[in-house]
Amino acid sequence: MAGRALIVAIAVAAFFIAPHALAEFHLFQICLVAGTALVVLGLIVVTGFAGQISLAQAAFVALGGYGSAILAARWGIPLWAGVPIVSIGAFVVGFVLGQMTLRVSGHYLALVTLAVTAIVQIALIYSDNVTGGAAGMPVPAFEIFGLTLSTGGQLYYVIVPATAMLFLAVHHLNHSHYGRALAAIRQSETAAELMGLNVLRYKAAAFGASGFLGAFGGGLLAPLSTYLDPAQFGITQSVYFLAVAVVGGMMSPLGALVGSIVFVLLPDFLQAFQTYLGLVFALLLLGFIVLRPEGLAGLRLPKGIVAALPRLGGERR
Amino acid sequence: MLAQVLVSSITAGAVYALIALGFVLIYKGTGVVHFGYGDQVTFGAYLVLIAQALIGLPFWPAVVVALVASVLLGALIYGGLMWPLRNASLLAQIIASLAMGTVLREFVRAYMGPSAWPFPFLLSPAPISVFGILVVPANLAIVGVSLGVLALLFLLFERTFHGKAIMAACDNRIGASLIGVQVSMVFLAIWILSSVLATVAGVLVAPLLTLSPDMGLIGIKGFTAAVLGGFNSLPGAVIGGIVLGVLEALAGTYVSSALKDMISYGILIAVVLVRPQGLLGVLAMKKV
Repeated sequence: MAGRALIVAIAVAAFFIAPHALAEFHLFQICLVAGTALVVLGLIVVTGFAGQISLAQAAFVALGGYGSAILAARWGIPLWAGVPIVSIGAFVVGFVLGQMTLRVSGHYLALVTLAVTAIVQIALIYSDNVTGGAAGMPVPAFEIFGLTLSTGGQLYYVIVPATAMLFLAVHHLNHSHYGRALAAIRQSETAAELMGLNVLRYKAAAFGASGFLGAFGGGLLAPLSTYLDPAQFGITQSVYFLAVAVVGGMMSPLGALVGSIVFVLLPDFLQAFQTYLGLVFALLLLGFIVLRPEGLAGLRLPKGIVAALPRLGGERR
Repeated sequence: MLAQVLVSSITAGAVYALIALGFVLIYKGTGVVHFGYGDQVTFGAYLVLIAQALIGLPFWPAVVVALVASVLLGALIYGGLMWPLRNASLLAQIIASLAMGTVLREFVRAYMGPSAWPFPFLLSPAPISVFGILVVPANLAIVGVSLGVLALLFLLFERTFHGKAIMAACDNRIGASLIGVQVSMVFLAIWILSSVLATVAGVLVAPLLTLSPDMGLIGIKGFTAAVLGGFNSLPGAVIGGIVLGVLEALAGTYVSSALKDMISYGILIAVVLVRPQGLLGVLAMKKV
C-alpha cells in the first residue's frame, strides 16, 4: 500500500512539474497522447475485454468532436459541459447500436461497424449548414472559470487529469464483476449465457462504453487541433485506432497508453521518412498481429514492474 | 431516361460484382473474409503502372508482368500471413487482412504518390448508340468479364473434382486431409487465384474510377454486393452487385447524391441485421 501511495505521489508531482520543465511542443504532444489513448481505451474495452471487433471508433470520435463544437457554437454550451454531455449521448447511441448489431459477430460485426463509420462521415460531409460540409468547421475555444485554454500547455491541465480519471475508472470496472462478465463472454458466449449473464446487454454496454470513451477523446482532441475536417473521421482512421490498440496491447488499459505513445512520437523520430510514415504504421500493425498479438504491453517485464504497472492505469505519464 | 440510367448502372454493378466474386472465392475456398481485397484490386492496377514505369514495358506486356507478380503476391499472402495465422482467432485474422490491405495502400501511396494516375482503357471509351441508348464498349467488357469469371468459378466449384476438394478442405480441414486432400495446397491455390482475379478487376476498373491509393475503399461496395448475395454464393455475388449498382443509380438520379453515397452502407447494415444469409445464401448454424 505504501509503495502504491508513493507512486501516486510521484505521478501527481510529475504532473505539476512537467509544465515548467517541458517545452510547449512537448506538452502538446502529451495532450495528443492522452486524447488518443482515451479513444483507444474505448476500443480496448469493446475489442480487447469483450472480444467484439469495432471499426466504428472514428465515428464516435467524430460525434464527440463535432457534437461538442456544435453545442458550443449553436447553443453556447461551453466545451467543459458539452464534452461530457455528448459523451453520454455517445454511450446511449453505442448501447442502442450494440443491442441492434451485436447479435451478429465476427466479420459481420466488422462490416456493420465499418458501414457505421462510413455513414457518419458521409452525413458530416452532406450536412453543410451544421457541420461546414467537406470544408469542415472551426472548434470554439475551451473556456472554463473565465479562462480561455487554447495552447497545448493550457489544455494540458484539462486533458491529462480527465484521461487519468477515465483510465482509473476503466481499470476499476475491469476488476469488478462487470469486467469478469466481459471476460467470460469473450471466452465463451454460450457458457456465459448458461451462467445466467445477459450476454447481449453486457456486450451492448461495452459498445456503449467504447462510444463514451471515443467521444470523450474526440471532444478533448478537437480544441487541441482547433479545426474539424470530415476527412479525418473515415474508415482509415478507425483502422489507425485499431493499429494503436494492437501495437500497444489489447488486453490491458496500459496498452492504449503505450500504443498512443508509440504512434504519436514515432513521426518525430521518422521526420526524414515522412512519405513512408503510413507504410511504417501499417507494417507495425501487420508485424504485431502476426508475431506478437499480445502487443507491447504484453511483453514480459521484471515481476516487480509488472505488479506495479497495471494497478496504476492512467496515472503514468 | 430510366433505360439509360439502368444501362449505365449495370456497369457499376458489374464492377461491384467482380470484386464481390473475389470475396466470395476467398471465403468459400478458405473461410477467411479478406478485408484488404479492395486494396489488392487497387494494387493490381498499380502493378501495371509500376511495370510500365520501372521496366519501360508497353501496356500489354506490363499487364502480363502484373498478373505474374500477383501470383507471387497471392503466394506471399498465404505463406507469410494466412498460413501462420491458420489457428489464430477470427479477430486476429480480420485484423491481419485489414493490415495487409493497409500495407498495400500505404506502399502505393509512398511509392507512387498520393495523387491520381491516368489509366488506359482496354476498349474504346467512346459511347455507341444502340436503340437510342448510349452503350460504352469498355463498360461492356467489365460486364462480360464479370459473367465470364462467374461462369468459370461456378464450373470449378460445382462441376470439377478439384472444386469439390476445395469445398471439402474449407468445410472440414482435418476430414479433408484424412481422405488425401492436401489442404495447404488448396488454400495456396485459392489465394493465388483470388490475387490474379484482383489484378484483372483492377485493370478493368481503374480507367472507370480514379486510380489513386484510396480507390480500394470501393472494396466496401464489393462487400455489400457479396453480403446482399449471401457471401457464399457465386451467382449471389453477381446478382448482389447488379442490384446494388441499380439501386445506387436510382437513388442518385431520383433522390439525392447523398443517398447514392450512403445507400450501399445502409443496405449492408440492413441485410446483416435482417437477413444475414443474403438473397441466395444458406444460413450456417454456429456449432458449440
